[in-house]
Amino acid sequence: MNIKEYISSGIVESYVFDLVNDQEKEEFERMCAAHSEVKEARDSFELILEQQSLDHAVAPPKNLRSRIFAELEIEKDKLNRSTNAENRIAVDQVMAEKAPVINMGGWMRYVAAASVILLVASTILNFYFFNQYKSFSAKYDGLLAQNAELARNEKSLQTSNKEYQSAIDKLRDTSMTIIKMAGNAVPSSPDPTSMATVYWNMRTKDVYLFVNNMPTPSSDKQYQLWAIVNGVPVDAGVFDIEKGVPVVTMKNIPNAQAFAITLEKKGGSTSPLGQMYVLGKVS
Amino acid sequence: MGTATTYNEQELISLLKGRDDRAFAYLYDNYSGALNGIIMQILDNTELSNDVLQEVFINIWRKIESYDPSKGRLYTWMLNIARNASIDILRSKSYQNSRKNQSIPENVDGLMTSSFKPNTDLIGLRKLLEKLKTEQRVLIELAYFKGYTHEEISEIEGIPLGTVKTRIRNALMQLRTILQ
Repeated sequence: MNIKEYISSGIVESYVFDLVNDQEKEEFERMCAAHSEVKEARDSFELILEQQSLDHAVAPPKNLRSRIFAELEIEKDKLNRSTNAENRIAVDQVMAEKAPVINMGGWMRYVAAASVILLVASTILNFYFFNQYKSFSAKYDGLLAQNAELARNEKSLQTSNKEYQSAIDKLRDTSMTIIKMAGNAVPSSPDPTSMATVYWNMRTKDVYLFVNNMPTPSSDKQYQLWAIVNGVPVDAGVFDIEKGVPVVTMKNIPNAQAFAITLEKKGGSTSPLGQMYVLGKVS
Repeated sequence: MGTATTYNEQELISLLKGRDDRAFAYLYDNYSGALNGIIMQILDNTELSNDVLQEVFINIWRKIESYDPSKGRLYTWMLNIARNASIDILRSKSYQNSRKNQSIPENVDGLMTSSFKPNTDLIGLRKLLEKLKTEQRVLIELAYFKGYTHEEISEIEGIPLGTVKTRIRNALMQLRTILQ
């Protein structure tokens, strides 16, 4: 193939457009070096292409220039640092070869190594502390909830404590008469082990009831306390067996010979209809 | 932005190889538009084009030492960096996905039909391709703008490898005539 044919085979344009394989590329570069006509053909097509590109240039956005040059500064920095490092290693080698002098570059390397270690350590610590923070934060939230719960409990404890306190204060009164009412005093009692105690203030005639042991009634029933006055049962009030309520304040009874408890419908009855559980005479 | 100084190619190259700031500013001011043109011909997504131009310029800076003037002009070397970077993006998954979202078929069949359609938005070389015969234009599209190898094109188009090469060379020769 003569040179003219080679030039007009399209290889020049293919090479410039980078549409050739490695073999064609090598061959073309050899031809360029050997024959100035080939190189001239390439140069002229490159110029045409360049001119065409410049004629059809599309200006990029204005701000891109500063972005790119800022990036180049970073590249420059990287390059300088790696060049410095290379130089330093070269210097270190020369120093090491020439004389066993104290290596000035050496301590800097230790500083660098130390700083890398510190950085890694700090990163790990940061990570660790962040996790700690997260776990403590969760624990703190838990404690807050617990604290609120405790505060609620304390309030209810205070309330019941007050009730006990006031109950004891009432019972401490020296005018208090104690009437024990027992299940075994009632032949027909459904629960002979039942027991309750009436505290009757002889001065104020106030009646307090302490339930020692009574079976829990069904929800549609309520216990009712009766004062037996001259053989007639007088309503002294209904009560529930409540936990935490030590002493139930009943109705004021001016006069009575005995007290008894029957199980009545909820809300109580005007005269006892249900079974009597306990009975106790005023001594 | 314009740089008052002008350099001839040799001066510019030796300054660039010394990583001279002003030479790079000159290069940017004079060639960024041309390089941007080729990037935009390959990728029509402007935002991506900007990223590619940035990458291309950084690569020029990084690789300038390896540029060998005996193998071609500086611009040709830069043009090929820009073209390769654009084609890499074109073939990336994220670009393909972004195209899917625009519901433009980017598979080979879709590419063929879209290549046959005259597009009024085309610029630069791509516009010149309009003057070529369809069969030639399709091959240049695939080879130059999509970065397919001759072997791949032979498979896609179902024509022998030799024919692919001949048609591409003929097309390029014609393109040269059109350019002149």
